[in-house]
Amino acid sequence: MKRVIVLFLGAALALSSSGPLRAADTTVTISQGVDADTLNPLSKTVTPTNNVVQHVYERLADFGNRSGEFVPLLAVSWKRINPTTEEYKLRHGVTFSNGDPFTSADVKYSVEWIKDKSHASEQTPFVRDIDRVETPDPYTVRFISKVPTAIPPGLQQPIFIVDAKYFQEKGLAYVAEHPVGTGPYVLREWKRDDQLTFDANPKWWGGHPKIDHVVFKPIPEAGARVAALRTGATDLITNVPPQYYIQIVGGRNTKLVSTRSLRQLFIAFNTLQPGPQQNKLVRQAINYAVDVPAIVKNVLGGRGYELTSPIPPNYFGYDASVPGYKHDLAKAKALLAKAGYPDGKGISLVVNAPIGRYNRDREVAEAVTGQLQTVGITATVKPQEWVSYSSMVGHRALSPLYELGWNQPSADADGVVTALFTSSGPLSCYANPEVDKLADQARGELDVAKRKALYKQIATILHEDAPWIVLFEYEDLYATSKRLHFQPRGDEAIRAYEMSLT
Amino acid sequence: MTAYLARRALGALWALIGVAVVVFLILHLTGDPAAVMMPPESTRAEIDAFRHAQGFDRPLIVQFGSFAASAARGDLGLSLRHQEPAMGLTLQRLPATIELAGSAFIIVVLIGVPAGVLSALRPRTWIDYTARVIALIGQSAPTYWIGLMLILLFAVRLGWTPASGIGDWRNLVLPAATLGFFSTAKIMRLTRGAMLEIMGADFMRTARAKGLTAARVSLGHGLRNALLPVVTQLGVELGTLLSGAIITETVFAWPGVGRLAVQAVFERDFPVVESVVLIAAAIFVLLNLAVDLLYAVLDPRIRYA
Repeated sequence: MKRVIVLFLGAALALSSSGPLRAADTTVTISQGVDADTLNPLSKTVTPTNNVVQHVYERLADFGNRSGEFVPLLAVSWKRINPTTEEYKLRHGVTFSNGDPFTSADVKYSVEWIKDKSHASEQTPFVRDIDRVETPDPYTVRFISKVPTAIPPGLQQPIFIVDAKYFQEKGLAYVAEHPVGTGPYVLREWKRDDQLTFDANPKWWGGHPKIDHVVFKPIPEAGARVAALRTGATDLITNVPPQYYIQIVGGRNTKLVSTRSLRQLFIAFNTLQPGPQQNKLVRQAINYAVDVPAIVKNVLGGRGYELTSPIPPNYFGYDASVPGYKHDLAKAKALLAKAGYPDGKGISLVVNAPIGRYNRDREVAEAVTGQLQTVGITATVKPQEWVSYSSMVGHRALSPLYELGWNQPSADADGVVTALFTSSGPLSCYANPEVDKLADQARGELDVAKRKALYKQIATILHEDAPWIVLFEYEDLYATSKRLHFQPRGDEAIRAYEMSLT
Repeated sequence: MTAYLARRALGALWALIGVAVVVFLILHLTGDPAAVMMPPESTRAEIDAFRHAQGFDRPLIVQFGSFAASAARGDLGLSLRHQEPAMGLTLQRLPATIELAGSAFIIVVLIGVPAGVLSALRPRTWIDYTARVIALIGQSAPTYWIGLMLILLFAVRLGWTPASGIGDWRNLVLPAATLGFFSTAKIMRLTRGAMLEIMGADFMRTARAKGLTAARVSLGHGLRNALLPVVTQLGVELGTLLSGAIITETVFAWPGVGRLAVQAVFERDFPVVESVVLIAAAIFVLLNLAVDLLYAVLDPRIRYA
């Protein structure tokens, strides 16, 4: 009799612990190349770290699938109450996973934490336009900028909101490993460089995500990532090298998924340094000499999209009527002759390129130099390791040409134009007072149609002046298990709460 | 003996200080990582503010002074990447590396030494040839390639082991074999060479003439004498294995010191590189001492005073 009772109790316990009313727990394992640097969401800007922390922390609003579109998260609505003030109404009844209520004080604290210079946060550019934050009541917050900006201050690159009380009480070393947010998941365990496990947050205002547990299992080597996917040890891998495509497409349990990236690759002329690249005709000739579709086809295996303008079609500000440069050797040669370099004689160029920073970065630069030889220009690639390369870019020291990639998560022309084409732009080697003026105007223009027209003007000048060899946008590839439904995004974000399993 | 140990400890301290200084200078001469850490749209002023907060804008000598002062207290500063104490991050990864290196070392000793002895005792037989061919592969094939091939065969095709990561003993087999392969080959060749030389020595003939069994002759007299160079090399090998099996840890996603070191170097995470190098140097110093002490056990003629 006793044994029967024990058995019965055991069975009841087993049933209750597995939750008889719910289907079996679902787990998704995600393998990026590297682990999160820290779980403090206010300090870093690198994609793999971001992909992890966004499961715990939330923003006021998030970028939607199209440029200019936002998904309300911790803010339910926002409006411009005067040209320099954006007022956000916050979601009621939201709590952090430790039980603390979410209020406007937390928003103010998060912005100010990043602005505090002593924290050396890499996110300072994200809050650059916010002059100060006001909290009229617990569910209203106002972001005030110095000058009017078209994109509301706070939405250029929305930041994560932390629990002010928890951050102050526990200190930075602690919060870096013990995240407490309002988001869909809570941290169960983090074994550095090994695996990090999230469980669904029972208190999440958004309900219960379809995936109960999310595991981040970093695997640095691409071949090993593919092997882990094929053995079922992981469900989703990033940065899949082309040589594995056939294996994955042909695999019994694996598939490739892809999307058009917001990241473009380009080669800029350093027009601030002396040399033939200061001659507009030479720049135009080089643009005609480069055959972008051939590069996309042969170097990227077709996984890319030719661009005609630095403002790509999936960005706000794109205008299809602005022409691009079509591959045309006759025009290239004619322009070179007109510029005083018949048959390209007398032009010898160096194309600086990073190694391994962007997909096929060095190979693309090599293809471009090869094509320049068809019009008689001598060109060589100077590849460099990324850390020193990026510092030289910042000092405008790479000349006459340098290759760079750019991804603007807001998908708005403002970021591209301000950073890369204005004379004070941090990565610009181009100076044109007219572009400076138009860029400033577009930045502060609140009327959408007028703003669009301004970017058309800028794009037209950039076409004529040709400060870049405009190349292409990438196609981002992920490999997943067949059971996983995952729709990749152009900004490289990976969100388990938007996935489901079959 | 005590005096000898004290002398060695003092020497070790100087070695560590020297390593710390050289690594600090080399790292800082390559430029600071502010530009690469900040997002690309940062303005010069934003990068400069970041640089100032990290203290990179101070003269090198001042930076070195504050580094030396805190290093003397065992504090190597906060990791730039993780913003946590660099030494702590490194020590956190040490158990995984010791587990992997220890297992690989066991493979090296248990396979490398016996294979070398057998090969020397039966020269120009199939045993010898097989062992030598395997040793040749082990010494010439890149670790990276061997690791990937083992993963493809045993994890993907046969499904016997997990493809990567740390866990139970099954996770350990492939990385330990990969890591141990190169050293095993080296030790095997060294043991074989040493044994062949010893086997022809006069005292070996004497031993045989005394009527000792073949096993006593080759193991008791031959191997014991052949072991001196082998033990020296084993010490070096263990140090190499422990100081971060960079490629193996990367291929197998093993959460050890080597992987931490790779990322730290790529991202110019100075404090972490410093701690990894210092720990590796300390391991080498200790192992060298251990090997020297072991000599005295193996060869009673060696005495330290």
